Amino acid sequence: MSAALDIKDIRAGYGAVNVLWDVSLSVEAGTTTAILGPNGAGKSTLLRAIMGLVTVSQGDIVVDSCARTGTSTWNMVNEGVVMVPEGRMVFRDMTVEDNLLMGAFPKRTRPRAQANLKTVYQRFPRLSERRRQLAGSLSGGEAQMLALGRGLMEEPRIFLVDEPSLGLAPVIVDEIFAGLRQLKEEGRTIVLVEQNTYKALSVADYVYLMQAGKIVMSQVAADVDVDHLHDLYFARKTGSEH
Amino acid sequence: MFELTLQALYSGLLTGTYYALVALGLALVFGTMKIINLAHGELVLLAAYVAYTAESQWSLNPLAAIPFAMVVVSVVAIAVYLLIDRIKKDRELNSLILTFGIGIILTNFVLLVWSADIRSTTTPWFQQAVVFGDLLFSSRSEILFFLISVALVGATWWWLSQTWYGRATRAVSSDRKAAMLMGVNPRQTEILSFVVASILATVAGIAIFTGQVIEPSLGHALTVKAFIITVLAGMGSIPGVLLGAILIGVVEALTVTYFSSSLQELTGMVLFLVVLLLRPQGLFGFGVRRG
Ligand SMILES: Nc1ncnc2c1ncn2[C@@H]1O[C@H](COP(=O)(O)OP(=O)(O)OP(=O)(O)O)[C@@H](O)[C@H]1O
Ligand SMILES: [Mg+2]
Repeated sequence: MSAALDIKDIRAGYGAVNVLWDVSLSVEAGTTTAILGPNGAGKSTLLRAIMGLVTVSQGDIVVDSCARTGTSTWNMVNEGVVMVPEGRMVFRDMTVEDNLLMGAFPKRTRPRAQANLKTVYQRFPRLSERRRQLAGSLSGGEAQMLALGRGLMEEPRIFLVDEPSLGLAPVIVDEIFAGLRQLKEEGRTIVLVEQNTYKALSVADYVYLMQAGKIVMSQVAADVDVDHLHDLYFARKTGSEH
Repeated sequence: MFELTLQALYSGLLTGTYYALVALGLALVFGTMKIINLAHGELVLLAAYVAYTAESQWSLNPLAAIPFAMVVVSVVAIAVYLLIDRIKKDRELNSLILTFGIGIILTNFVLLVWSADIRSTTTPWFQQAVVFGDLLFSSRSEILFFLISVALVGATWWWLSQTWYGRATRAVSSDRKAAMLMGVNPRQTEILSFVVASILATVAGIAIFTGQVIEPSLGHALTVKAFIITVLAGMGSIPGVLLGAILIGVVEALTVTYFSSSLQELTGMVLFLVVLLLRPQGLFGFGVRRG
């Protein structure tokens, strides 16, 4: 069986600064893949490279056996590759409902916009209460729910989620992860970037560890030894002291 | 005294609504591209002169010239867009220089083709008086374009809030990258904002041609006015633009009534400086909150 998303030896970065060094990663349909790693490892850059937000200078990005390297962000979205960005990036001066409706902008999703809106409101009732409020006035947790809901409005076939727990209180993090687990149970293909190792391991089927722009470990989540993972995780810190 | 004030308020209201059309276009383009199109007033000017030619050469009613003028102005606006789009470095600053230059070229083009003479419509229908209660004086053109302008501002608001591409235009203004992640190609919304700005500018141009007089220097003055209104409104709020435009219209009319018409342009500037000092986020803008 071929992978839903296949990344082969990509290099990408910002202008003259290269960040990703020959990163490869394979995501099976219907599974949840967690990408872990310390700050600055290049996790967000990897997701941005998949979405065409940063230029890929080498390597291939393959979605459902079709080469998509160099595809524009909006065309990736049209292919069903959807990203919930780090820091949420909600449209602050638009209402909650208008934010969600923006998620239905891709033409293939428009006919089902109202039905999808209903589903999102059922999933996140707090968004429904605040539908006429400006997104800029939401709390961090609510904004994260909005970002996830907006992503779901895009009917993702591959759902890339970047640090949904960032800066949120533990209860809210639990709520967000409950939502992710539910999506996983619905059989969606999810790629989750996280710094919260335990939380990530609790939903993931596969785990990749990134460091300094490289994949340093990949494993089935059930086989991961957390102590070993943490040793690897902090290896760069101890290594760079010499 | 009271009657004069009332008349000034009334005239200001009528003028303010077509100012709003000009300012709204400037604000839309600023929203999507984060650039100030300093040639925007010249687009209004161009529309007015197209109507002048249509009337004097082809005996066409200025209203009938609107669709033709829209096409001409849109084509020029898209050319301006394509030139701006070629700027790769420091777009905010370099686009100011570029559009300022384009404005000068357009003004001189108008001078060359239509000369520096003051022009106005020769269709008497537009200039006939409409008087309310022996108190409020206006012309048919002013009333007609007041109604058209209000309808157009409303239509623009509807477009921005209720349609897929209107919403996408707001989304690009709000967060360009996030909009791309929603499947929006920002270039499409940029071109759209230029076209919508051209449509609004054209109607404003015909309003001036039929209600007042036109001359080549008008374009530059309109750009400055639209810029002042947009900043007054607090970049990007439509009700703010409408209110800001009416405010400028009224303050100018009061200045003309009580002081001198030569101070008309100055009062807008003074109001602008006062607001900038006291309320830098604009009269109707929100304080920007980040993070
Ligand atoms: N817009 C940018 N321009 C230039 N360099 C950038 C930019 N964004 C990130 N970088 C650099 O790229 C490297 C990887 O950053 P990236 O954001 O991908 O890391 P990350 O693993 O997502 O970290 P975090 O966990 O902090 O989000 C870092 O060295 C960072 O400084
Ligand atoms: Mg990151």
